[in-house]
Amino acid sequence: MDTISESSTKKASAVRKGVIIAVVLAVLTLIEFVVGLVLPNPWILLTLALLKALIVIQFFMHVSRVFAGEGGH
Amino acid sequence: MATSSASLHRHGHVGGVIEDDHAAYQRMVRMLRIGLWLFIISDGFMFTGLFVSRFYLLGGTRPELSQALGLIVTSVLLASSFYMNRAETLIEHGDREGFLRCTLITIGLGLGFFVGVVFLEWPLAASHIGGPAASAMSSVFFMMTGMHAFHVITGILFLLVIYFNGRRGRYTPQRHWMVEACANYWHFVDVVWIFFYPALYLIGTPVALGH
Repeated sequence: MDTISESSTKKASAVRKGVIIAVVLAVLTLIEFVVGLVLPNPWILLTLALLKALIVIQFFMHVSRVFAGEGGH
Repeated sequence: MATSSASLHRHGHVGGVIEDDHAAYQRMVRMLRIGLWLFIISDGFMFTGLFVSRFYLLGGTRPELSQALGLIVTSVLLASSFYMNRAETLIEHGDREGFLRCTLITIGLGLGFFVGVVFLEWPLAASHIGGPAASAMSSVFFMMTGMHAFHVITGILFLLVIYFNGRRGRYTPQRHWMVEACANYWHFVDVVWIFFYPALYLIGTPVALGH
């Protein structure tokens, strides 16, 4: 019973993490859009893009798994 | 006897064989993961070339494009990445129904992005900057968005494969490498658009070539 409860807690936590990351990406995209319209500075826009890309690579693509030394999911 | 032994080994029903089988699978996934990332990096170089050529050829200008449509397709692709991540998370935790549902949503959003760029944005852009052969600007625009759209289509095909495999129950929390590979490919397509969106829609002065 405890194992099932622990498993569902882990699942809920992983799903919640995905939601938080998606919200952060959405906010950064909106900031990017507003900056693009109001103050289209290429360096600010490319920095925002780089930040978004790093978030996706780290949290959605799990790049750290490549260096983890084990093959589990 | 040999067949029976192989079957037992594959399914891991015999004591220590489970450990061996799992360790072998982990080793295989480790190698496949490195291979996938090497492919992603090499494909990334191709997109980097297109990205750099945009700044070399267009400098401080950009094509006149629909800002609203640009924001919508970008949001749709980001949402698809979210659902892709959710699908992977759910199969990791043994929720097959949730995995299938989220994979289908990802496919739908991917198709929405493709339709938005190819069937809505392209005709609009062509009316402002001409067709792909009209100028350096139009060539850059259609090449960047076209190559990206091609990757979206291959990503959707990959998603369909994991969806139908998932329906047949081929993935478990312990064994779902193909889902991870598909998710990483799909997120890579998203990362490319993260850079293409400001490069095409936001940076520079909009120019219409009067075609």
